[in-house]
Amino acid sequence: MLRIEGLRKSYNGMEVLKGVHLELREGETKVLMGPSGAGKSTLLKCVNLLVRPDEGRIFIDGEEVTSPKVDVVRVRQKVGFVFQEFNLFNHLTVLRNVTIGLTKVKGMSKEEALRRAREVLEAVRIGEELWGRYPAQLSGGQKQRVAIARALAMDPVLMLYDEPTSALDPQLSKEVLEVMKELSRKGVTSLVVTHELDFAMEVANSLAVMSCGLIVEEGPPSEVIRNPRSSEARRLFCRV
Amino acid sequence: MDFLLELLTALSSGLLRTVELIAISAPCGIALGALLGALSIYGGRILSSIVKLFTAILTGFPLLVTMLLIFFGLPEFGIYLGPTESALLSFVLCSGAYISQYVKGAIMSIDEGQSLAARALGMTRAQEVIYIILPQALRRAIPGISNEVIYMIQYSSLAFAIGVQEVYSISKSLNSIIFRPLEIFTALALFYLALCTLANFLFKLARRRLRVMESELP
Repeated sequence: MLRIEGLRKSYNGMEVLKGVHLELREGETKVLMGPSGAGKSTLLKCVNLLVRPDEGRIFIDGEEVTSPKVDVVRVRQKVGFVFQEFNLFNHLTVLRNVTIGLTKVKGMSKEEALRRAREVLEAVRIGEELWGRYPAQLSGGQKQRVAIARALAMDPVLMLYDEPTSALDPQLSKEVLEVMKELSRKGVTSLVVTHELDFAMEVANSLAVMSCGLIVEEGPPSEVIRNPRSSEARRLFCRV
Repeated sequence: MDFLLELLTALSSGLLRTVELIAISAPCGIALGALLGALSIYGGRILSSIVKLFTAILTGFPLLVTMLLIFFGLPEFGIYLGPTESALLSFVLCSGAYISQYVKGAIMSIDEGQSLAARALGMTRAQEVIYIILPQALRRAIPGISNEVIYMIQYSSLAFAIGVQEVYSISKSLNSIIFRPLEIFTALALFYLALCTLANFLFKLARRRLRVMESELP
């Protein structure tokens, strides 16, 4: 489903990704952990081409998306992205946040888009009473669940989560993690940057540890967390 | 009372012309300002430089001079516009140039996450600007835009200089015939006050209706 080969990215001469290799099979959930500045967010942004990598190749569903001939807009439609800061469209209601991509990007009719929005909002447990509200009128957990619904509505082949619970308190994090767990169990292929060990242990098929722009360790979550081989992973799991 | 009725009847054609000038030039000026504001940020180096030059010229020229140049200068290039059309064009260009600065500032104040989220959904740059960035920026620019429209109402009296029969021009002519300056110019002042108050009210209404997105958790 997703294959990353030798991905490199620099900002102003500072190398953030130093040749990352990663593979994710269809229906799998992979958790990516690592200290701040390890390059996790940049890696996710490279996958849906929000950031253009300097070197290396990314394949999604067998198609090389880093090829210059590829239509960037079409690739982004295939990949759902959930941001740490939610990034809901402030001027649109919950329902419009979910339908705008369907009508304007996918060209769906209003009725079709509403039907799809209803499905995904129910899947993330956002009740009908909230559909007419604006983002500023929602709690953090509700905002993040709407953001997940907005990405899911586009029917992506891959979901990317960039620390989706780090801006939330433990109770609100729980609401969001429950929804993510449910989606993973349903077989939604996901690459998740998070510090939630319970989530990794319970749902992820594999866990990769990133440090200084490289993946330094990878394996089943229980093994990596309980018996870390690399010094970076040992430091990380002692601290978490 | 009879005089007041006569005065209002005499001024009515001018009143209508002034309202017409504002009703056409305000929305066109706002649309031009939004377009120029967006182009100054998203237009690339060449387009944004052109917009910069355009706004520098139009905000640097007095409105009256712009109007005279359009009315008397354009015929030299084979373009003939009537007084009303010349006044309308100069109002639109001038207010568009000022409004573009408010819109530009408002666009720059929109959180970058909005743009990232739009692109992550697969929107093109044009869709991102039209559906996500501009609607939010225009809401933020409303106070500046409302000031600009109020100025436009007041400056519309300058159109008399190129022969537009708007309310100030009619009042001036009327006064030269019957010489009742206090009554005539008080009526004129009250008319401008009413128009500005109405514009203020409409913009306040718009701000109140659109404020919900800025509100906090109930």
